[in-house]
Amino acid sequence: MKRLAAAVLLAASLLTARAAGTVRVFTRDTGGRPVADAVAYLSDPDSPAPVSPPADPVAITQKDQEFSPYVTPIVVGTKVVFPNLDNVQHHVYSVSPAKRFEIPLYIGDSKETIVFDRPGIVTLGCNIHDWMVAYVFVLSTPYYAKTGADGTAEVSGLPPGRYRLEVWHPRAGTVGRDLVVTESSDTTQVISVVLKPDHRIRRAPDAGGADYK
Amino acid sequence: MAEAPFRMFRFRRYGSRLLLLIVGLLVLALGANFALVVRANRRNANERIHADLDKGALLFTHRVNARLDDLSSRAALMSGDYAIRQLFLEDRTDPATVSSALETYRVRMGVPFMALLAADGSRLGDTGGPLAAAALKPFQDLVARAALEDDPKAHGYARLPPNGPAGMLYSLLVVPIYAPRPEIVAWIGLALPIDHRFATELKEDALLEVTFYYGASGAMSPVESTLPPAALAAAASSNIEEGDRTVSVGGEPYVTADRDLPLITPGRAAIALQRSLRAELEPSLVLERFLLILLLASLGVAAAVAPWFARNLSRPLRTLAEHTEVIARGDYTSRLKLDRVDEIGQLATAFDRMSEGLAERDKVRDLLEKNVSPEVAAQLMRDGSALGGEEREITVLFVDLRRFTAMSESLPPREVLALLNRYFDRMSGIVEIYHGIVDKYMGDEIMALFGAPVPLVDHANNAILAAIEMKSALARLNAELEAEGLARLKFGIGINTGSIIAGNIGSSRRLNYSVIGDGVNVAARLQNLTRMSQYEADILVTASTLAASKGRFRTRPLGAVPVRGRDMPVEIFAVDGAE
Repeated sequence: MKRLAAAVLLAASLLTARAAGTVRVFTRDTGGRPVADAVAYLSDPDSPAPVSPPADPVAITQKDQEFSPYVTPIVVGTKVVFPNLDNVQHHVYSVSPAKRFEIPLYIGDSKETIVFDRPGIVTLGCNIHDWMVAYVFVLSTPYYAKTGADGTAEVSGLPPGRYRLEVWHPRAGTVGRDLVVTESSDTTQVISVVLKPDHRIRRAPDAGGADYK
Repeated sequence: MAEAPFRMFRFRRYGSRLLLLIVGLLVLALGANFALVVRANRRNANERIHADLDKGALLFTHRVNARLDDLSSRAALMSGDYAIRQLFLEDRTDPATVSSALETYRVRMGVPFMALLAADGSRLGDTGGPLAAAALKPFQDLVARAALEDDPKAHGYARLPPNGPAGMLYSLLVVPIYAPRPEIVAWIGLALPIDHRFATELKEDALLEVTFYYGASGAMSPVESTLPPAALAAAASSNIEEGDRTVSVGGEPYVTADRDLPLITPGRAAIALQRSLRAELEPSLVLERFLLILLLASLGVAAAVAPWFARNLSRPLRTLAEHTEVIARGDYTSRLKLDRVDEIGQLATAFDRMSEGLAERDKVRDLLEKNVSPEVAAQLMRDGSALGGEEREITVLFVDLRRFTAMSESLPPREVLALLNRYFDRMSGIVEIYHGIVDKYMGDEIMALFGAPVPLVDHANNAILAAIEMKSALARLNAELEAEGLARLKFGIGINTGSIIAGNIGSSRRLNYSVIGDGVNVAARLQNLTRMSQYEADILVTASTLAASKGRFRTRPLGAVPVRGRDMPVEIFAVDGAE
């Protein structure tokens, strides 16, 4: 996914050579610690940039009875597959308004390819494993990136102009600010978010009951 | 005046004082004991009740929480149910389907009412019935509150429907439906009635009376209670305030703890936990009654025993007092002889010793009086035996038997002495009658004093009268002696008035009260002169006696006679009798 976005951005930057700015976003919590898995995206509400979903589907795998990645930003119209690499079945579902679907119990390759055709946040769960949760952020802007473990996300290839920068995280919601991007912009925006307690269900280290006493 | 306040505590009898003391002390000690026990019992009962009420209030909270926890976990189980999730996979949830599905869960969970609300609080469906319309708003309020919580659920009390007489108190709960956690896709709302069963269960656990109150505004009235209806009616319009109070329920004091039940619907609700003070005090009252009986019994026993004890104590005292009277009357012979070793026994012994002392003193005085005249004895007892001396004017009288020595030779000595004593007895008696004293007996002679040691105004007069009386007495004695065939007695009396020195005369070991001086010699001389036949007189007095006597006597002047030791002759008179 990241590679894909990078490729898109590379293409865009090649097309508009030297006429693009870069915004780095450093996301941290109230304790100053970097926040990973935050989606940073920029949009110009007055003239939204068109998005073009990739041709190949994006994969959200199920391994060790967890979704991976935890957060997946995509643009509207992107196809997503859910390969199950575990040796137990999973039942992927979402009841989020942006995309309601379920893939009844299966194992191995994803039986279905789901097209996320509406912007919004889609929460994924597994009907038989309550602790499994993942998010798909369906965006209607091509300018986005996800923070890594260092809390940094870099969005490049931005045409000069006024933008609204927003950062979203499952435990923080959305925070944003307005900024102006010039041809030579190469700034780092520091975004502080308030993380709510992690309410994901904690699994025993060796779930499945093998060592359950 | 200062002792006036104590007058009321003066008692004629020692026993009354002792009785009052013992009974008073008993009343004080047992009364104080009783009062302290009663106070401690009341306080303990109150403290126990208050502690139990606090426990009861906690128990109520725990019961409610336990019920809510139970329902929460059941709801959580239900919210993870596949079938529930299926309802939300529909593009448009069908309210009728949702409601009918909820009915299944309502029956499974055993609650009277259940509702499903969307994440934003809007109604998705419910199990219908009279609560459906009324419960929506309270549930929405709870959803708004729960959404802010870390553990998103909320509980509250509500009256449903909020208005109208049919309203009942409910405990409401909302819990989330996750898809998956922590994403809340909907809320389940549950209603549990606070009904008689709930109150009764609480009563069985807490052993307290439980009453739930509700009031739209101001006064509150009971809506559910474990109290009997009659008692409840009395507490109908109680003014309930958070805290503890004591109320009268059916005439019985109940300690009551009121706790507000915060309502999410209008109005006020409260729970009152009560326990009867009398029931709590029942074991203490038994003890108090026993103490009271003990107090009264002790008083009774004390009242009965104290007089006996007092009598026992005062009887020897009274005996002592009576014995004192006996001693005061002069009887030193009787003895107390109390067989006791205590203080009273010691006192009795001291009394007896005193009696002995007094008796001894009496004996001494008696002997003294026999040896000296009673007047001298009295003076000796009074003034001691100082070798004093004083000059004063008195009258001295000498009386001597004539030819007694010759007469006595013809009689056995015993009879001589008997005759002499008989004579002395008569003469001495007359001296005493006229307030004189017998100073001494010298052979058959008597020396008598008038005016010493006790001053006597009419000493000269008394002496002459005594002499005349002696003469008559002798005549009577002679008549007796004649009748007995004995010889007649004759005597001669010499009387003189003059200045003498009186006092205790002798050594410090042996003393005689006596008088010395010229006046004494003259009297003795006159007695001798009675032997002179030419005078024909048994009684001779000097002019000075006659002058001092102021009495009227038949006298004959016998002229002046020379007296040894005197330059001037003394004028003498014969006294033949009283005029």
